[in-house]
Amino acid sequence: MSLQSALERLATYRANNTRASQDIFRNGLLALQKSSFKKLGDDGWACLEQLTLASIDVGRLDIADQCLQLIADKFPNSPRVDCLIGIRMEATEPPETALKYYADILEADSANVAIWKRRISVLRRTGKVEKAVNELVQFLDTFYTDVEGWLELADIYASCNQYDHSLQALSHVLLLTPQNPFYVLQAAETAYTSEDFPLAIKMFLTVVDMTDADDSEQLLQESTPLGITVRAWFGVKLCTRRIAQNANLKSLSNTSAPKNLELLDELATERLRVAYSSSGQKGEIAKGRQEVFAWVATPLV
Amino acid sequence: MIGKLFLTLATLALLHAAYSTYEHLSLLKALGKPEGSLPLDIVYESILALILGLLGASLNAPPLKDITWASEMKKRTIDGMDSRLGFAHYKSRGKFLFASPRDSKS
Repeated sequence: MSLQSALERLATYRANNTRASQDIFRNGLLALQKSSFKKLGDDGWACLEQLTLASIDVGRLDIADQCLQLIADKFPNSPRVDCLIGIRMEATEPPETALKYYADILEADSANVAIWKRRISVLRRTGKVEKAVNELVQFLDTFYTDVEGWLELADIYASCNQYDHSLQALSHVLLLTPQNPFYVLQAAETAYTSEDFPLAIKMFLTVVDMTDADDSEQLLQESTPLGITVRAWFGVKLCTRRIAQNANLKSLSNTSAPKNLELLDELATERLRVAYSSSGQKGEIAKGRQEVFAWVATPLV
Repeated sequence: MIGKLFLTLATLALLHAAYSTYEHLSLLKALGKPEGSLPLDIVYESILALILGLLGASLNAPPLKDITWASEMKKRTIDGMDSRLGFAHYKSRGKFLFASPRDSKS
């Protein structure tokens, strides 16, 4: 694995916000040992920060301390470095120490986004969920456009089984990032869990529309659904089942049930069959194909 | 590869034409008629360098990327979209799972 490819992988991880700590640690350590971070300029410091966080995650605190020392020497009074020091503190010290450190910084500058987020994260981790939610709501009142914050709120509510509140938080996410099908999928699945099947089926079909509606490609019958489109079609199928079983549904969001339920069901069945019929790289059949075919073949009611 | 080759040839041709012009101008100055016209072959060489350079730059361009959101979203994963790195917990089991044996003395 060459240095160039390692640095490219690190840059891709940074752009896509993935948390692949083991891989980042392996690639970053290679770059660190060849001390090539200095040659990259601004990107090199971002890579070093990424390596610090990955080494804390993986448990290699010696490498984390080394990287942190390099960064702190270069940027002495930076709030971003304060945040890294706080994270390093969280990993070994008891949570009260970290909370006190964050409280001190927030007293000096009460609008420090990164430190506030870390404080909320520590509160959630130590089980003070109500306090975490209150702080998070206060944070989101101040910084409305923070998508990460709304997603975290939705996650906290979902973990406490309050799916309606989770859906409300996700609706803010959808307002802020309307082009993102992943969040629509999350909202659809949350709606399904809170038994609002008409809303869920509408959202699943929106996900299909967003991810698969490429007019320049061939007719819909000829293209195979891939990725989260398959997950959305599974959701459509599940929703049609539940709507058909329950004649008098009450939808919390007052959404009306779809008119052509059987046709939707047939369409979902066909799309799932196509998705699982495509052969893999060596002509092998898709995993679970038999189970999927058997499941979609069961009748609607 | 061909793009880079064309670009190199075009640069060399342009430099050569420039140097020839300079030499020609110094010749005219030496002969005492500083307003003579540029010989045609230098002009042709410059135009050839222009065409070759255009071809080389177009062929040397990196592959085009899609501009629609849908095509960008096809490359992302659910884990990437849901990572919420600002709120991530760094006190995890990673310390015990991934530490090498000599670190586990504590």
